[in-house]
Amino acid sequence: MNSNRSEITIMKFRPSISRASATVALGLGVAAMASLPSLAQEKTITWGKPAEITGFDAHVAGTVASWEMYQMIYETLLEADESLALKGALAESWEQTSPTSYTFTIRDGATFSNGRSVTADDVIGSLERIKNPETASYWSAQLGDISKMEAVDDRTVTVELAEPHPAFLPALAHITAAILPIKELKEGSFDPTSQMLGSGPFMVEEHKQDESWTLARNPHYWREGYPLADLLEVPIIPDQSARIAALRNGRVDFTTFADPDSPQMLAKDNNIKSSPQQTTNYYRVDVNALSEDSAFHDRKVRQAMNLALDRQAIDDFVFAGTSEVDYPVPGAFGKDACRSLDAYALPREERIEKAKALLKEAGNENPEVGLIAASSNPVLGRIAQVAQQSLGEAGFNVTIESIPTAEYLQRVFTDGDFDFSVSWLAGYTDPTMVIAWWNPEFAIWNQVFQESVPELSAALDEVKTMQDSPERDAKLAEICGMIDESANLLALVSKTDYVVYRDDKIEVKVPEKSGSSDTFQYIEEFKPLD
Amino acid sequence: MRLIGYLLPRIAIALITTLGVSILVFLALRFIPGGYADILLGPFVTPEARAAIAQRYGLDQPVVFQFAHWLWSLLQGDFGVSMVTQKPVIDEFLRRAPVTLELAMIALFVALAFGVPLGIASGVAGRARGGFGRVIGAVGASVPDVVLGSALIFVFSVWSLWFRVGGYVPFSEAPVENMRVMLLPGLTLSVFGVALILRTTRDAVMQVMTEGHITTAVARGERPRDIIRLHVLRNAAIPVVTVVTTYFGFLLSGAVVVEVLFSIPGIGLYTFNGLLNRDYAIVQAGVLIAALVFISINMVSDILYAAIDPRVGTGNRR
Repeated sequence: MNSNRSEITIMKFRPSISRASATVALGLGVAAMASLPSLAQEKTITWGKPAEITGFDAHVAGTVASWEMYQMIYETLLEADESLALKGALAESWEQTSPTSYTFTIRDGATFSNGRSVTADDVIGSLERIKNPETASYWSAQLGDISKMEAVDDRTVTVELAEPHPAFLPALAHITAAILPIKELKEGSFDPTSQMLGSGPFMVEEHKQDESWTLARNPHYWREGYPLADLLEVPIIPDQSARIAALRNGRVDFTTFADPDSPQMLAKDNNIKSSPQQTTNYYRVDVNALSEDSAFHDRKVRQAMNLALDRQAIDDFVFAGTSEVDYPVPGAFGKDACRSLDAYALPREERIEKAKALLKEAGNENPEVGLIAASSNPVLGRIAQVAQQSLGEAGFNVTIESIPTAEYLQRVFTDGDFDFSVSWLAGYTDPTMVIAWWNPEFAIWNQVFQESVPELSAALDEVKTMQDSPERDAKLAEICGMIDESANLLALVSKTDYVVYRDDKIEVKVPEKSGSSDTFQYIEEFKPLD
Repeated sequence: MRLIGYLLPRIAIALITTLGVSILVFLALRFIPGGYADILLGPFVTPEARAAIAQRYGLDQPVVFQFAHWLWSLLQGDFGVSMVTQKPVIDEFLRRAPVTLELAMIALFVALAFGVPLGIASGVAGRARGGFGRVIGAVGASVPDVVLGSALIFVFSVWSLWFRVGGYVPFSEAPVENMRVMLLPGLTLSVFGVALILRTTRDAVMQVMTEGHITTAVARGERPRDIIRLHVLRNAAIPVVTVVTTYFGFLLSGAVVVEVLFSIPGIGLYTFNGLLNRDYAIVQAGVLIAALVFISINMVSDILYAAIDPRVGTGNRR
């Protein structure tokens, strides 16, 4: 009985069910057809990023892990090309009307990802924010002393410096001088400490802390037809082996490595290619000249250490010869400064003998010293091991300590509780910018371990005001001599970045040389091949 | 009533332990070198910048005041915000908890599936013939997760063999993809568990096998299968339950090394990164949650003892 009733009910509703099914099917079909073009056009590239950002504020963060992400979202007025020459980015053009006066014209069509045009007020507000001590931006000093800024019109800004500062323009090419949407910041709809809103090729769609970012193309990006990818997926993969695996299994299209070992290993894979990028950055040693507990308090011991360091061995053993011995004035700038110094020019045997003689003079033929390296970057530990061995030849007894980054930073830059440490330094796009850090009154961060050498500081102040010229090169060479004499902050070898990618999945454009730690300067031209 | 009397002192001790852990972690974080200002600004941290950041996050207040403020917020369900993202950390923990739970379940399942049968077999076989248990137990307990995990990543990065390293997707979205990603870390985590459970089971079984009631059962002519099921397993269960619950607590409170190695976005990875970044709210919440999980699991195991062996709750155990 019940069974019959069910059959009748089904019979009764069958036409309606059929109609409903047809309608649903049609609807689904139409929906599917409608979504086909967008699905087909959705082009995604995936970047296996080795580290998460340390903060959202582009004017504040001092770490490359953060800069790399800001460079996807924000833009600067200027940028450096492969030859480290400046070119317009947000600024369509610029003019230096006097040694202290500059006029910038903002690019027509430059627009934040919320659809609002970038204006002169955004430029002025951004630079004011960097200069404001409350922002605590370390980049303030690199911009020089800005005395006045004016918006001539919506797209034109004039900047007046209190004194000549040729590094002002290169300083504008670093992402720490990013142009933020100041109107929204003032209105309170944008908080730069927890959000990112820029005029760069991508905008943030989703962020899962320590896990991944999803960046969508900025629909208002000024460069017509770019970026070529609609989505940039960014999984955070700190472990080097996991990044290798992700490249191999196609989970990521491109990533970076700090040493050549992984790229060389991956070179055996047919679809994986490596693109090394020379930078103005270099690995360095900070030496504690101020602590009386340290053997390096004695200048002669520091000089001996400088002579005994085998920079070539670091290049050979840590970087398989793919790096280069580097100088306080980075070799990437092509300057001759520093190259004739004993620490570089003398044969190794002579340097060792000289180092031993200096230690004897200092009355400390076997100094006991501790070398610290942040554990977050395995390359630093390997450099420390080579340094330990090479210094041993001159009589040094070096103990290596590998410690967490936060502890390293506090001990070296705040407490001065160390003998010497290995790290790396950004070289930027002008030699006077990086070399300025040798002046502790300017740099501030090295005041706890760097001795003040008044004549060196004066020379550094002077060179900052000089335009690129033979006179400036001569001054740089003079400064190199003083740096060598003080032996307080030493350059080791250049820092090459290795971009490794799947050439069956993506076409990349990586500049051979970078001066602003802007490895993915042409991210908008990365072309997905899937 | 007896059970309540048995549990109440344990609940009191659990609360005191939780408070103690929270004080310890709070103080320890303030005393370890380096702070968020160092991480954010790198070498460029000036005294002024440090002060500005300290003021922004209330770190310029006396530690006692900071702790009281944190505890008061905690009691209202506010675990604080991440210094990096300015977002509530509890949201991240809730988002990540299912990931860690899944990883823990996989590891526990594998550990039980292999550890218990092998332990019983090895225990029943006795010292003379049960050497395989000792070998597996020793090897499993000796290989660190970081070594095993790295080896697996290397092997499976060269030959994919279906598994994937990294690229977590939730089980609910793509079950097969999820398993491809989660099985390797789950297996890595389980190896220690297999060894732990195997050895504990083996020792417990061997202990019980020497007791008089087993000899009696044998003399009565009971089948070996029944002897193991009815007399051995029940009596050997308490130490096994203890290690299983402790192991599960360890897994749930964040299998840090494995999550970091395989980029599994669980609470262990989150807490670990929080520690590296000196992101205090994350670490405080992470350690507190881990402590709560451990304490809760111990409570559950106490209840299980009472259920398995009625003498436990009555104090009649001899």
